[in-house]
Amino acid sequence: MKHFINHIPQKLSRLASVFVVASAVGLAGCAATQQSVSVDTGSFKMPAYEHYQLDNGLSVYLMPQKEVPLITVNAVVRVGAVNDTTSGVAGMTAQSLLLGANGQSKSDIEQMVDFLGASIGAQAGKEGSYIGADFMAKDIDKMLPLVRDLLVSPDFDANEFDKLRQREMAGLAQAKESPRNVIGRYFDKLVFGLHPYGNPSSGTRTSLEELNVSQLRAFHKSYYQPSNSSIAIVGDFDPAVMKTKLASLFGTWSNGEAVQAPMLAKQQPTLDKSRVLLVNKGDAIETTFLIGGKGVARDNPDYVGLQVVNTILGGRFTSWLNDELRVNAGLTYGARSGFTPYSKGGVFRISTFTKSETTKEAIDLALKTYARLWEKGIDQATLDSAKAYVKGQFPPKFETSGQMAELLSDMYLYGFDDAFINDFQKNVDGLTLADTQRLISTHFPQDKLQYVLIGNAAKIAGVAAQYGEVTQVEIDAIGFGQ
Amino acid sequence: MMRKIIALCMSIGVLFTSVATQATQAEDIKSFTLDNGMKIMVLEDSSIPNANMYLFWKVGSRNEVPGITGISHFFEHMMFNGAKKYGPKMFDRTMEAAGGANNAYTTENITVYTDWFPANALETMFDLEADRIANLDINEKMVESERGVVASERTTGLENSNWRTLQEEIKGAAFRAHPYSWSVIGHESDIAAWTLDDLVQYHKTYYAPNNAVVVIAGDVKLNEVKALANKYFAPIPAQAPPREVKTVEPLQKGERRVYVQKASVSTPNVMLAYHVPATTSDDYYALDLLSSILTTGNSSRLYQGLVEKQVAIEVETYMPMSFDPNLFYVMGVANPGITALELEKGMIAEVNRIAREGVSQQELEKVKNIKLMDFYRAMETINGKANTVGTYELYFGSYDKLFNAPEAYNKVTPADVQRVAQTYLRRANRTVAVLAATEESDE
Repeated sequence: MKHFINHIPQKLSRLASVFVVASAVGLAGCAATQQSVSVDTGSFKMPAYEHYQLDNGLSVYLMPQKEVPLITVNAVVRVGAVNDTTSGVAGMTAQSLLLGANGQSKSDIEQMVDFLGASIGAQAGKEGSYIGADFMAKDIDKMLPLVRDLLVSPDFDANEFDKLRQREMAGLAQAKESPRNVIGRYFDKLVFGLHPYGNPSSGTRTSLEELNVSQLRAFHKSYYQPSNSSIAIVGDFDPAVMKTKLASLFGTWSNGEAVQAPMLAKQQPTLDKSRVLLVNKGDAIETTFLIGGKGVARDNPDYVGLQVVNTILGGRFTSWLNDELRVNAGLTYGARSGFTPYSKGGVFRISTFTKSETTKEAIDLALKTYARLWEKGIDQATLDSAKAYVKGQFPPKFETSGQMAELLSDMYLYGFDDAFINDFQKNVDGLTLADTQRLISTHFPQDKLQYVLIGNAAKIAGVAAQYGEVTQVEIDAIGFGQ
Repeated sequence: MMRKIIALCMSIGVLFTSVATQATQAEDIKSFTLDNGMKIMVLEDSSIPNANMYLFWKVGSRNEVPGITGISHFFEHMMFNGAKKYGPKMFDRTMEAAGGANNAYTTENITVYTDWFPANALETMFDLEADRIANLDINEKMVESERGVVASERTTGLENSNWRTLQEEIKGAAFRAHPYSWSVIGHESDIAAWTLDDLVQYHKTYYAPNNAVVVIAGDVKLNEVKALANKYFAPIPAQAPPREVKTVEPLQKGERRVYVQKASVSTPNVMLAYHVPATTSDDYYALDLLSSILTTGNSSRLYQGLVEKQVAIEVETYMPMSFDPNLFYVMGVANPGITALELEKGMIAEVNRIAREGVSQQELEKVKNIKLMDFYRAMETINGKANTVGTYELYFGSYDKLFNAPEAYNKVTPADVQRVAQTYLRRANRTVAVLAATEESDE
């Protein structure tokens, strides 16, 4: 590969795929007074869809797409790791939906789904729990009732749960063999501490050990309610027929006690000094690191503008960070930056990796490059290029049924509408140099930066201490740093 | 390089034309060949205002020799570092300013350059690609900085991927003659050792238009593509065909084993690799279905036999499309408390059970359905279309095979699956690799 598209996977940060789009290139020699040039990247609008609610409050999104004879169903419940009482309960509840329901064992379900060539999956992120299926359109009357059963009346079979839990606990240890897999969890914990946004959706080995199916049942009962959920269906179907099916399958799903929403905007920690979390991996041959701080919420009106600015800093191949660290210095295979937004907050991170010996050089160069945002700002030619790039790379993110179903689920979860798609080009085109300066001074954390370094502490502890107060943990220690 | 991308190419195997669909049909693909031998295929699709250009070059680590291992992949990097009209950094800057993005991947057999862009930037893409094909500027400074990048790519792969770590070792043991012996990224010392001459010669030989297939999919018109191809690509001269790869790997006559120690590995990983024929073999389809029977979905053999029984936490198989006979990989990650040997025995027992008892008709139907779903998913995007069409053109000799695949898969019987398991998934034909924190003792 010439370079990674996303070298720090964000498995559970579903919005990341929309947001990390942005990035930039620096045509450093161009004068700031240059005339703005808008590149025509063609017209792209939200395909037609319907949005309505059943009487029980279930939100329904229907979007017919006929290119291939497939259907994607994506149900989302407004609950996630931020609601965890025991760490990982939301994640394990979501995954345990697949362990059997309504008289069908896990094995029955898997045989049936695989035989149809279909696939089905469930997981929880920070703020949403998802169950999704994709299958051939002809199999709708087998798959849609199955999704209903799994979502509404899961069995939470105790034996199957024990096996799943054991596998997940082993998986947590295994995930730590790859720093790239887990570094984001350490970073969220460092930035948010005990605030719910610091909760790892995966839980930890000790917290999973505590869990039992009674907790899962209680969690499911509290949150998996139609008034707290949506279902998005995209693909090859007739909307009128689908409405009838949905009414009959989901119309009798009833609500329980009112859902308690956590106060996420409150009590987010203040980052009053630079801190370094040094995660020791004794046999590491390179240092993987993140630098950053607080970011923005998904509903921030500057969300789109920030994608453009971040494109310039670290969102595309010719971005300042990648150009300096990779192309000019040869220190790394890739350097990026990006905002990960949640509903009431978020994080901003610079991410890269380098061999142990060049850790200091790479961190210093990343910081120096980041400081250009304030020291030099952005010129018109670079801004124009970033705008063209962001617009040009936008439509392929919304091409498949799966992508559209995910978008509709996110619209429900984060409360935005299709103006996000329909006004995207206009919003990008309207961004001025003055706007970028305001965005930089308002939203990019300039000081009191937070660092996570995963590497060989014997080699890099001295380097780590130069950037803030150091806490050192062992990578195989349970949890993610606090 | 990236296994996942290759796995994607591999998984998009089938189209069952008997199913009524609006998905792409063979007649939707138009093709023409320039006088210099460059073949260009076009798939019009206006579902989004974007298009892709995929350039498939018939060069990969297979074309290397000891001393320059990894050069095909290194070259992939160099193709972005400046040519005559678009100097250093200008390929990416020009493309991105037009709204486009790009990447590339190298495998054992081919190198593929990918451009993704708003359709009205098509001419810019032709101009950029023609410049670097005809007039690449290979200079010392660029080579030196790019060595660091590739060394970092190699390191980060080994740091983050157990699969990568094991595969590198297992290839070295399974092949002693054929160039599939080394990893695509190459040996560390070779990365440090390429010379400018090596690169110049490599470019002239392998990046000739007669060694390429180009696929363009998206919101474009055939006539427009023809005109641009004639303007930009046709003037680039053809070259003498590259030397053939003649080495035939000698028959393996007994099991081979390798061990890799890594302190941070939480439980042992085991990889098995069996020699299998090239993709053009009639046995390809049965082997591909066998791979799915073993590991696709939770109802698969290895999931049921190992993960459900808490012997493994993860199992996977992989069989790359390949010009020459290559390997069929099976990998497992042990559950805590399970030794490498127990995991290995469990994996082999499941594989051997298919050789001994065969598979059911229902199991076979299941994996045919899975292949069909994979095909539709690939055909859902212009990106998937471009990649799939080109991949079939190269590995099967014609994109037509993509549309004949349904028949080929449908013809596979349970007896065929059992026969290929018996023929290829044998002990003497196997290499075993173990990755663990500590090696099991002899005592």
